[in-house]
Amino acid sequence: MPTVSVQRDALFEALGSTYTDEEFDELCFEFGLELDEITSEKTIISKERGDGKAEGASDTVLYKIDVPANRYDLLCLEGLVRGLQVFKERINIPRYRKIMPPKGEGQRLIITEEAAKIRPHAVAAVLRNITFTKERYESFIDLQEKLHQNICRKRALVAIGTHDLDTITGPFTYTAKAPSEIKFKPLNQSQEYTASQLMDLYRTDSHLRHYLHLIENKPLYPIIYDSNGVVLSMPPIINGDHTKISLNTRNVFIECTGTDITKAKIVLDILVTMFSGYCEKPYSVEAAEVTNSNGKTHIYPELAYRKEKVKPEYINKKIGISETPSNLAKLLTRMCLKSHVTGNGNHIEVEVPPTRPDVIHACDIMEDAAIAYGYNNIQMTIPKMYTIANQLPLNKLTELLRTDLAAAGFTEVLTFALCSQEDIADKLGTDISATKAVKIANPKTAEFQVARTSLLPGLLKTIAANRKMPLPLKLFEISDIVLKDDSTDVGARNYRHLCAIYYNKNPGFEIIHGLLDRVMQLLDVPNEENGYVIKAGEGSAFFPGRCAEVIAKGQSIGKFGVLHPDVITKFELTMPCSALEITIEPFV
Amino acid sequence: FSEMPTHSFVESAFWNFDALFQPQQHPARDQHDTFFLQDPAEALELPPGYMGRVKKVHSQGGYGSQGYRSEWRVADARRTLLRTHTTACSARLLQRLAQQASFAPGRWFSIERVFRNEAVDATHLAEFHQVEGVVAERGLALGHLLGILREFFSKMGITQLRFKPAYNPYTEPSMEVFSYHPGLKRWVEVGNSGVFRP
Repeated sequence: MPTVSVQRDALFEALGSTYTDEEFDELCFEFGLELDEITSEKTIISKERGDGKAEGASDTVLYKIDVPANRYDLLCLEGLVRGLQVFKERINIPRYRKIMPPKGEGQRLIITEEAAKIRPHAVAAVLRNITFTKERYESFIDLQEKLHQNICRKRALVAIGTHDLDTITGPFTYTAKAPSEIKFKPLNQSQEYTASQLMDLYRTDSHLRHYLHLIENKPLYPIIYDSNGVVLSMPPIINGDHTKISLNTRNVFIECTGTDITKAKIVLDILVTMFSGYCEKPYSVEAAEVTNSNGKTHIYPELAYRKEKVKPEYINKKIGISETPSNLAKLLTRMCLKSHVTGNGNHIEVEVPPTRPDVIHACDIMEDAAIAYGYNNIQMTIPKMYTIANQLPLNKLTELLRTDLAAAGFTEVLTFALCSQEDIADKLGTDISATKAVKIANPKTAEFQVARTSLLPGLLKTIAANRKMPLPLKLFEISDIVLKDDSTDVGARNYRHLCAIYYNKNPGFEIIHGLLDRVMQLLDVPNEENGYVIKAGEGSAFFPGRCAEVIAKGQSIGKFGVLHPDVITKFELTMPCSALEITIEPFV
Repeated sequence: FSEMPTHSFVESAFWNFDALFQPQQHPARDQHDTFFLQDPAEALELPPGYMGRVKKVHSQGGYGSQGYRSEWRVADARRTLLRTHTTACSARLLQRLAQQASFAPGRWFSIERVFRNEAVDATHLAEFHQVEGVVAERGLALGHLLGILREFFSKMGITQLRFKPAYNPYTEPSMEVFSYHPGLKRWVEVGNSGVFRP
């Protein structure tokens, strides 16, 4: 869930009232937000870098609020305030308007064929006569970053560029050129660089180096120029310094480029709806024209309002409440979904604004009505149907065996299903390619490289961690292992294994053998040809001459015996140990 | 509640994400910080007819929804991973239910291991167990969900509950369940729930 950091006092000032921390927490809870942390810049710095560095940092209280991942309209202070004010019925939903500039005066962005090959889509708009303060400016930059991280998938899908319109002249060209042909002074630098030099320059920049790979290996890099050849930006990396926005900027040109047109449109809509409140004509956005590489023109931002019709019975029934249609319409309006009753009172017409791209189905509307009603106000009922239940046979067998193994004096363990490659191969004396192990592509640590193919390593590691416990140590586990299997639709499946070990000054082969006999007795499998038999066997993990194979139901179901000293040493143990591992699936 | 079959840690991205309407390019997929597999790297087969319907709903919409209107790639759905939630098993179960000749209401549960690619610390493990419950009946409402959750938690002695609106790609409405912990003297999240999207 994305977290938005807002200054508490600025927030309360914009909301027009103050709250205690508990009251605000309660308000967030109702609305669907979570007040994650109350902190200040000073606290953050002293946590990360030590108290010394925090000297002189700001003490202003910051609220860190967790916002649902699909609500892009709540990612900035402006959006939060607007949402909460409408929720509390203190203000009306603003109406966002697109204003067409006088003919011939509008801004135009032209996409060339070269750009179309790399990041083909672009949208644009203008915020006219906007007034920035330091807080608004920072909020503007913050929102772009949040959008980049979330819906833009770290700029891979969409990249946003904002520019001071008075420093440039349209029409603008979005094209692509070879890296050596691109030269400009990027944001906050003091000299010009070519694009190839910029790649090197930003390789060490903690913020920008993550985006270089998006265009680095392409033959041409995207670049946006104005009619005089001034560079606006090289998406998705960096803007030009020339068009930098300052506190005195009055007119802003916004361009969003990328590979997903739906998301580019959403991003633009969110950005302009949030900040058009600070324009001279509040909530009005000047349209811009974008010409695609195939000659078609579009006007942006779309700022589309969509109308959906829902039945009041649908909402009432799906939530479990009974409200009149006009009350339901009021609830929805509180969630920024302006609604009114139509028809003969048996329909509600809901207008979905451009700030709510997350509403894509009638059920989204129904959820918002429930939120406005208050989840905790809904009456709790139990569904009236009766069902007959049962346990899965495999799990039932496992439960029965677990109790009896514990009764036999063995202690149950629960270990990780993921382990390192050595655990299931080298330490057991085999090679990793001989196991049919499932390998993980992106483990965070070496401890989680493969899924276990045997329960034995887990048990041995448990003993190693408990060496100080009194001997003998008798442990067991009945759990799943994973093996590759081409007959399943995903290529692997689980097998339910039973594994027990005995660790003492003497290996205790007879004890492990006895345990196996006991398990078979419980499973009602006699010790004969059509039950189970024990044959001398071999296993790389076992001491030669002290290993047996268990054959039942026509197949080998496992092995038991005294463990090889090499195995014992590799798991950092010092005493002799005997082990049993069988699959219990044939007995279900 | 009957026990659901959950007998595979390895899942395909199709069942873990796509069949649950989790968008392919959205951070919601990363939210789960998944363990992707190197070997086997791809699922061997995906249900063809069903997959076609899932693709359509993601890219164009359907069943009353606008969809995500973004490109949907089969290669992404084929990737194998260690399941991040047992809801993947619920998805398989529901699909099988849908293929039965007539609808019979039912309730299912599972308590199984799931895997998330997180750094291990005092409050996080890379593998842990989830309790999952599914109820399928005619005429279900949010109030019923609240009732079942209340009963479920009260059997464990947790009676002080509050419900908070939340977001899951596959449920709408969604709720997070909070309970007051007398020891920590604050509300802690004890569960997540929702009504599956049509």
